[in-house]
Amino acid sequence: MAQLALYFALLSLVSVGGIPAVMPEMQRLVVDVQGWMSAAEYTQLFAVAQAAPGPNVLVTALVGWKVYGAAGGAVALGAFCGPAAALSYYVGGFWDRMRDAPWRKAIQRALLPISVGFILSGGYVLATPHGLQWTSALIAGIAAAFMSLTRVNPLWILAAGGLLGGLLF
Amino acid sequence: MYWGFLSIGARSFGGVLPWAHRVMVEERRWVAPADFAEVLALCQFLPGPNVGNVSVVLGRRWFGWRGSVVAFTGLMALPLVWVFALALLYAGHAADPLVRAVVTGVGIAGGGLFIGTAFKLARPLLRKRWGVALALSCFGVIALGRVSLFAVLPVALALGWLAARRGLL
Repeated sequence: MAQLALYFALLSLVSVGGIPAVMPEMQRLVVDVQGWMSAAEYTQLFAVAQAAPGPNVLVTALVGWKVYGAAGGAVALGAFCGPAAALSYYVGGFWDRMRDAPWRKAIQRALLPISVGFILSGGYVLATPHGLQWTSALIAGIAAAFMSLTRVNPLWILAAGGLLGGLLF
Repeated sequence: MYWGFLSIGARSFGGVLPWAHRVMVEERRWVAPADFAEVLALCQFLPGPNVGNVSVVLGRRWFGWRGSVVAFTGLMALPLVWVFALALLYAGHAADPLVRAVVTGVGIAGGGLFIGTAFKLARPLLRKRWGVALALSCFGVIALGRVSLFAVLPVALALGWLAARRGLL
């Protein structure tokens, strides 16, 4: 469990772009490196976290719970939120004062394409639990189109995904 | 303040952010709309869960570190209970292939939501070919090449920083 806590704490500090951005790395650890669950089980855990109300960071608690029970859930969530929360606690004011500094603007411009690439990877990894299949590509494509082009509540998109999953898999 | 954050977490079906805005800006008038937008922009840049970071930054502003702890735990308390309830419910029915298919569909649609979000974020990048190249390289290396985020982030940041300093991003 110490390994889980340490890894999630490190992950916390590189989660620029939030939870979506670290989904590929978390999946790589949990599925490829440690073999704690299959890619399909990982996508299903993520689905539970998405469907429940609340911030999507709760998926970390579900991963910990799946591996080490309720205590693992609490440890995973705490480890993932703690370092980032400490950073926002200390950096919040400083970063605000540096609003017009050129180096801050350069970092901000550099981070946008990086977090776009990370979030795109997170979506891809979650949407291909069985490798590239036309069924998953169809569901993910429809969801992505509705998310980027309309203002439909994401809950309806998730519900439609569940319906299509029930019909297609 | 604890009750305020608890009510944000309690109602956050389909995303926390809209509810955070409604409770803090519209209902309780704790922060002005422009102020909220600024804090949020900062927290989206910082690593970690975005709304979690907002609770830490605002809690600190009002009541110091105790405020941060109270706001953060208030935000997470009820969603944590619900996500575990849903996960237990799912664990009880995971043997049913139809349930598994529906939940997998929801997870894939959730991945699609991330892809759609990445497209939305990428709009200001579209006319900057170095930005597009950086985002696509990050995607290729992480999603397809399965390289660790810890190796990719420093390299990508250095490249992005250089490009931004030369006005390419």
